[in-house]
Amino acid sequence: MARIIDDPAGGRFLVPRKAFTSRDVFEKEYAAIFDRCWLYLGHASELPEPGSFVTRTVARRPMMFTRDKDGEFHALLNACPHRGALVCRERKGKSRAFMCMYHGWTFASDGHLMTLPGSSGYPEGFKTDPQKQMVHAPRLGRFGDFFFVSFAHDGEDLATYLADAGDILTLISEHSPSGMQIVGGTQEYAMRGNWKLLSENSFDGYHAATNHSTYLDYLKNTNDALGGTPLSGVARNLGNGHACVEYTAPWGRPIASWVPLWGEEGKAEIAAVYAELETRVGPERADRIAHKNRNMVIFPNLVVNDIMAITVRTFFPVEPGYMEINAWALAPREESEWRRKYRLYNFTEFLGPGGFATPDDVEAIEKCQQGYAVGGEALYNDISKGMSRPEGPAFDDEEQMRCFWREWDRRLAAAEA
Amino acid sequence: MDENILLRLRVEDLLYREADLLDLWRLEEWLALYTDDAHYHVPPSDVDGDHADPNTSLFYIVDDAVRMRERVIRLSKVGAHSEHPRSKVRHLVSNVRVRREGATIHARSSFAVWRAKDITTDVFVGHYLHELVEQDGELKIAKKTCVLDMEALRPHARISIIL
Repeated sequence: MARIIDDPAGGRFLVPRKAFTSRDVFEKEYAAIFDRCWLYLGHASELPEPGSFVTRTVARRPMMFTRDKDGEFHALLNACPHRGALVCRERKGKSRAFMCMYHGWTFASDGHLMTLPGSSGYPEGFKTDPQKQMVHAPRLGRFGDFFFVSFAHDGEDLATYLADAGDILTLISEHSPSGMQIVGGTQEYAMRGNWKLLSENSFDGYHAATNHSTYLDYLKNTNDALGGTPLSGVARNLGNGHACVEYTAPWGRPIASWVPLWGEEGKAEIAAVYAELETRVGPERADRIAHKNRNMVIFPNLVVNDIMAITVRTFFPVEPGYMEINAWALAPREESEWRRKYRLYNFTEFLGPGGFATPDDVEAIEKCQQGYAVGGEALYNDISKGMSRPEGPAFDDEEQMRCFWREWDRRLAAAEA
Repeated sequence: MDENILLRLRVEDLLYREADLLDLWRLEEWLALYTDDAHYHVPPSDVDGDHADPNTSLFYIVDDAVRMRERVIRLSKVGAHSEHPRSKVRHLVSNVRVRREGATIHARSSFAVWRAKDITTDVFVGHYLHELVEQDGELKIAKKTCVLDMEALRPHARISIIL
């Protein structure tokens, strides 16, 4: 078994590279982590009205996320109880019923069997037999407008699981007086690397200066896109394997840090946004929301980065060395056209497969995976930066990753026991 | 010869030149094919890429002329790790159709772009929507939208080259 070496007294924190390459570890991760933890399913704004639905894959399972005729939310396993075909083959939409294309069994948005052709071939009561209904995810949980599923029937409730990460989700929901929404358009891509490399990378404050030197150059080059605020901040352990870094940064934030690039019109708008925020949540919290950036990983695979825009990103391993990623933009509902435009412009500047930074993260992740092929089970990654820093871990230390790895190790070890 | 066919030949010549410059990594010259207020867009796969608006939908790439120039500058640096060492790139362009609308020429074409580097070879398939204008007797590109005819950017990880 691949165990981490966590030695605070000796200032050592080592992760075996086998954790990234072994098929045995990969299968154990599905059993001990993805089939046990609360996993992000979607955001309430994606299902605006009764009948709305989206389909997506969560922990290898094709899922339907739906709202029934009364507006209730459901997480259904997208497979017909008859012969197992996908019931819904569309990505999103609005429908009162879903007909399996194979034999025509038709289900409501809450998964119950409404009609089936040739029912005279079946005994009385067949249609209402619980086994002939679509199967719900064992648990569906809601925290604010964020929906999670768990494929375990038992275990802690969602709020307990989220621990202090829930406070950060709440903080992000407070960007808006009218609620947050997922903006249309999904970045759907993949990396040829182990999924944990992306968990690490998503809140790695140490790599920016070298890995993203060209992004930082770009900010300096582009007509005042850069304010005067330095990169500085801390790492926070949010409990249960969740962690974040929270820091100031020189880039503009649509909530609500102005940079000269946005001009005088933008300055007035950002000032008005800040004033509303301060009135609503008080000066201290307004300052934190507007002027601090947060990169958070909710164990195991939900990234919510509140930086020059907000990205909600989740990813699942398909193979030890290959993962699929979905990323969305989250924004205040009431946001003006001007602010929405700059938010999305900011987002694509840094984030995603076509941005000025993510391609180089991909390169790092894929080259790590390739490098692991040098082999040898005795080889470890070093995650010790800042472990012995007397004043506590900084945003560019590796404490946040240690939080992740300790939980990963704990869950796999518990499953072995 | 039919005027529209002549126009199509001019446009094809420009699109082939663009593809060639991108394949050769002559990016400064590529940039010179564009107007000073040009745009380069790549929408994601789950929106109607022919009509989606980057001000209201999340895209993969939303470059104005400033960001196009910065993209070229970035790709010239060794710190653009994804493309250093440079990948092998090949753009195929076909099925070019043109339509004049006022001062703007709209061209619609099919593309397949290969990116090969190290252990990976990725293919991007889709269609280009070019908006072209005449400037001093020359055709310039005012806007290029690369609509991916793919269900997702997979197994790809990045659009680190210019499509």
